[in-house]
Amino acid sequence: MPLGRLAGWLMLAPALALLFGVFLLPIGWFLAGSLTDFASFAEFWEEAQDVLFSGTILRVLLNTNGIGAAVTLLVLVIGYPVSYALSRAKGLVFTAILLCIVLPYFTSTIVRTYAWMVLLGRTGLINQILLGLGLIDAPLELMYNRTGVIIGMTYVLLPYMVLTLFAAMKAVDPRLLQAAEGMGASPATVFFRVFMPLTLHGVIAGVLITFILAIGFFVTPALMGGPDDIMIAMLIEREVELTQNWPAAAMMTIVLLVVTLLLYAVYSRFADREAPR
Amino acid sequence: MSVTPSPFRLHRRLLLGAALATPALHAGRAQTQGEVIVRTPGGSYDDVMRRFVYDPFTAETGIRVTVVAATAAKLIAMFRANNVELDLIDTGDAQLLTLERLGALAPIAYDRWRWSKPEDITRQVRNPHRVGNFIYASVLAYNTETFRGDNHPKSWADFWDAGKFAGPRMLADMASGSANLEFALLADGVPRDQLYPLDVDRALRVMTRIRPQIRRFWDTGALAAQMLSDREVVLGSIWNGRLQTVIDSNAPLAYTWNEHMIQVQSLGIFKDARNVEGAQRLADFMLQPQIQAQYAKALVFGPTNERAFESYTPEEAARTPGGENSRRTGFYQDVAWWHENRDRVSRTWSRWLLR
Repeated sequence: MPLGRLAGWLMLAPALALLFGVFLLPIGWFLAGSLTDFASFAEFWEEAQDVLFSGTILRVLLNTNGIGAAVTLLVLVIGYPVSYALSRAKGLVFTAILLCIVLPYFTSTIVRTYAWMVLLGRTGLINQILLGLGLIDAPLELMYNRTGVIIGMTYVLLPYMVLTLFAAMKAVDPRLLQAAEGMGASPATVFFRVFMPLTLHGVIAGVLITFILAIGFFVTPALMGGPDDIMIAMLIEREVELTQNWPAAAMMTIVLLVVTLLLYAVYSRFADREAPR
Repeated sequence: MSVTPSPFRLHRRLLLGAALATPALHAGRAQTQGEVIVRTPGGSYDDVMRRFVYDPFTAETGIRVTVVAATAAKLIAMFRANNVELDLIDTGDAQLLTLERLGALAPIAYDRWRWSKPEDITRQVRNPHRVGNFIYASVLAYNTETFRGDNHPKSWADFWDAGKFAGPRMLADMASGSANLEFALLADGVPRDQLYPLDVDRALRVMTRIRPQIRRFWDTGALAAQMLSDREVVLGSIWNGRLQTVIDSNAPLAYTWNEHMIQVQSLGIFKDARNVEGAQRLADFMLQPQIQAQYAKALVFGPTNERAFESYTPEEAARTPGGENSRRTGFYQDVAWWHENRDRVSRTWSRWLLR
């Protein structure tokens, strides 16, 4: 049906043009422009080796993936029960839970990160309370280290996981659960043997979205991290702003882009198999 | 029949416009000669400058002054794209030096100055393409509740002595523009006048000794001030202007002028700017003694016109970098050395941080 295909392309055209004009073209232009700055291939190769194989970027990639993995795991552990409650809730309770998740999302990440800094500091609210109750003798180090980064990022990324899981949980046909119950399964069995497997594609989608967003994070680790909590976005910013070494920034950008695209490929495989009907 | 999205081919200039959108909005109005567009650090700085410099300048000359924000990278992007959207650049001397080496700046027209006298400007900040409009200092600050009376750190060697002066500390990160390698070398016994060229390896070896006590390396003045006032750290390096603001709000903090590092904020003019002439005049106007004394006092920065000190009380002079304080105990950061070595030091620094 050529007419249907044509209509499809026409409807896609604005989105494609947007993607092409404001993403592909500028980024291609930036990469090409930066990488053709070199006088010779030898010079390019020397710089590439220094940027990509010096150990710094490997350590930073390890950091980035380690933080990303820890945050994703925490977000999943916290997000799954919340989504489950949300998918079961009705009326006012549903609205209340949804508001709690979505409302902070309307505030800028910087403001929310600063709010955490007020809570987590050495003389912050949490330490004051714990010291006041006599539970600790010296302030806990909750900020300017890995702990601070993970707390801050988990909070910022939670809504993405909850909303993704919620969609998957809502898609589960309640009659399947009723059937399992009717056939004598205990509530635990219904949950673990029927409900959870049916939401697994949602878990994978949520994990990948969270992880992809986490590895590109900048504000939270920059504000809440310690001396060695350097993530790749911070390293790229340093090359752009501080040393104005744009070729190096371009190379690091490619590394981040490749990692993200690989993960996206995995994501789309699972997303395609979506929704058991 | 196939349809491709090619009818949406974008013009290169159009993209450029999109990339540099904010100043482009102002550019439309800049066609007249009656406006100078200035890059500034923003925030309360703009209010002070508006009151003591821009408004009086407009009253005197009829030339309007518009301020815009732009990072160093954005300024370079503008220049490279041959699309300079502002006239006067008011930024760190190091960033201006980068633009100067790229050939982006016009010479400062010292010979045509009407309001200021070139010979009154401190020698170290008077350069052919850049002229300092104020100086500020990185000083050693400490908490007066932790270190009472005279028992406080008085030098960078003291800062490095964690046995005698215990407590969490901070120093500047590379991301602030440059790491405090100078202070490490001073602590290790290098004399003030022999710091440059910096021995980076030695400085980092000294840094390694104090690293366990460093809670964080700060990247912005705001963070440095916040960490001191929230008691996240009890001593550290900080810019004097930021520190004074916190001290004036009654935080239990003090500092020593001993071994302070002087850094320079400078004016530069894009050679392809729409209003080079207006920018030259604004630079001239800004640097005259009375005008400079007003904004420098308000911001607790040091004046670069030495005659500005004539209107300072001894008390005002005591809290100001430059003048007697600086001649006795300070040193100028060598931005040319940093310019040549920033790339290398930045990578070495990252590697050191991650070790």
